[in-house]
Amino acid sequence: MYSHDGQNLFVIDGHMHFWDANPENWRNKYGESWIKCFHAFHSGLSPAEEVWPFDKFCRYGEDVLVNDLFRTGYVDMAILNSTYLYEFYKNGFNSHAQNNVIKAKYPDRFLLCGSFDPRDEEAGVDAFRRMVADYPIQGLKLYTAEWRNGSRGWRLNDPWAYKYLALSQELGIKNIHVHKGPTVYPLSSDAFDVRDVDYAATDFPDLNFIVEHVGLPRLDDFCWIATQESNVYAGLSVAMAFVHLRPRYFGEIMANLLFWLGPDKLCFGSDYAIWSPKWLIEKFMAFELPEDMKEEYHVDLTFEIKRKILGENAARLYGIDIGSQTAKLSRDGIGAGV
Amino acid sequence: MRDNVPCEFPAGYDGTALLKRLEQVLDPELDESILDLGFVRSLQLCSGHASVALRLPTSWCAVNFAYLMAEDVRHALLRVEGVHQVTVSLGDHCAAEEIEAAVNDGRPFAEAFPGEGAGSLAALRLTFLRKGFLGRQERLLRDLRTVGCTAAAICALRIGDVSMQDDAIVVQQPGCSSVQRGSVVSLQRYLDRRAELGLDCSLAAPLIIGLEGKPFSVDQLQAHYEAARTVRVALEANGSFCRALLRVHRLEAADQSLHSNMGGRHVQS
Repeated sequence: MYSHDGQNLFVIDGHMHFWDANPENWRNKYGESWIKCFHAFHSGLSPAEEVWPFDKFCRYGEDVLVNDLFRTGYVDMAILNSTYLYEFYKNGFNSHAQNNVIKAKYPDRFLLCGSFDPRDEEAGVDAFRRMVADYPIQGLKLYTAEWRNGSRGWRLNDPWAYKYLALSQELGIKNIHVHKGPTVYPLSSDAFDVRDVDYAATDFPDLNFIVEHVGLPRLDDFCWIATQESNVYAGLSVAMAFVHLRPRYFGEIMANLLFWLGPDKLCFGSDYAIWSPKWLIEKFMAFELPEDMKEEYHVDLTFEIKRKILGENAARLYGIDIGSQTAKLSRDGIGAGV
Repeated sequence: MRDNVPCEFPAGYDGTALLKRLEQVLDPELDESILDLGFVRSLQLCSGHASVALRLPTSWCAVNFAYLMAEDVRHALLRVEGVHQVTVSLGDHCAAEEIEAAVNDGRPFAEAFPGEGAGSLAALRLTFLRKGFLGRQERLLRDLRTVGCTAAAICALRIGDVSMQDDAIVVQQPGCSSVQRGSVVSLQRYLDRRAELGLDCSLAAPLIIGLEGKPFSVDQLQAHYEAARTVRVALEANGSFCRALLRVHRLEAADQSLHSNMGGRHVQS
């Protein structure tokens, strides 16, 4: 909960990780390059005093996470993104099973995302059903650029992706987070093309598609799609980090998103542990859209809009009643200060 | 940034032409010069053999874009008189070996990286040339609007109505005054890209056209501007992101070389 002038803002971190990138878990050189690339993002855009040593970054563990998010980082609830990467990590990078360990301890704090890979085709359907039955899966995180048996990625409008999306809908999963963001070697850049979201969003109007990292570096393409499709949302992680190093670019990115999508479709995300919610939120709340941008774009980033971005929009997507959830959270171990 | 590139030339050789060519090589995804971005680590010329060391923002930068930049460097320098061989190196890039082997040998991407979406490399380049066109045009439009050109005045402008005088653009039309200093760059960059895309650059052609070569009506111009503005912001944000990563990469490299130097000394003692 972020408090300002007696007003409380309910915070949902829409994009965070509980990963295991210890060297023992690296399957090959790609496991190493992946986490090193993340660490470069981390040290390149974080304030100097927030930079972690590489070994802590590889595996920070549960206590650090709980502290950084819920005790000091203003976060009330967090969406656990599952990222498998079995070709790079022996036990996976952060699978839904790994993530569920922490979810089980703090059930009201986390929303757990599962995933599917359409390249499993028919053979994956049972496993997908089992995952949804055995785990408290509330959303999906899809990584269209993931390598698999020589394939360099897939697209949301592939026929088998459609079958899995239809199945997700049938099983009551409404929110589909799609990673479309900066190119990270060893993933192929073409797989970050955002246009496949357009097809899927049109053909599945009852599902919500949250495009993580607002499609950066394809912000423009993302904006065109999100303008046309009422069920496409912006996940702000990565873009958020600009608030420190390049506040004016941050302002311009926000002005564009507010201009094309409006204030109801933008969802905060930290991408923890790449960046930490504490400083992101403090700087975001202190940030004001420069006057010239307000004038040019005819938008503003008011306190009420920040409230929507930090929590209300994601709460609506996940059907969370902020009042009753706040009461519930005040009684759990973290809320009670235990 | 170009002043920071360590160069080694034969005694008395003027390296201006080489640096000018290098300056024209762009990161296609950012539409900025690799020299301005700080991607050029060093440049050497010896007996007509140019060697260029590149350092990209991370060792994991997309292979296809890395290949495009290395290939462009080679082609650009081969056009300089007296240069008959070019060797590009990519330092600690994850695919340095494959890219260097292919580029320095003049072999296409598809041969070096079969199955990596090679067929789309030309399309990828075109996509970003077009985005760059819009980004450049937005800066020109912004300059024109800043000095008070109305949408109607902008739509009526032909290329022949604008000229460059020192650092300013002079607009020969009622209702527009001479544009602020420095904007001559935005005009030049816009016209360069327009020519590169094969769009009409004759003096009688409308100054502001879309990617299909058609001018805009007064009613259409604002919407076009708003879209071009987002393209420009996306390109600039990406450039800013890459600069931040390059800074870390440089520090790490400096740190590592410090460690290895210290190790060296230790062995000697």
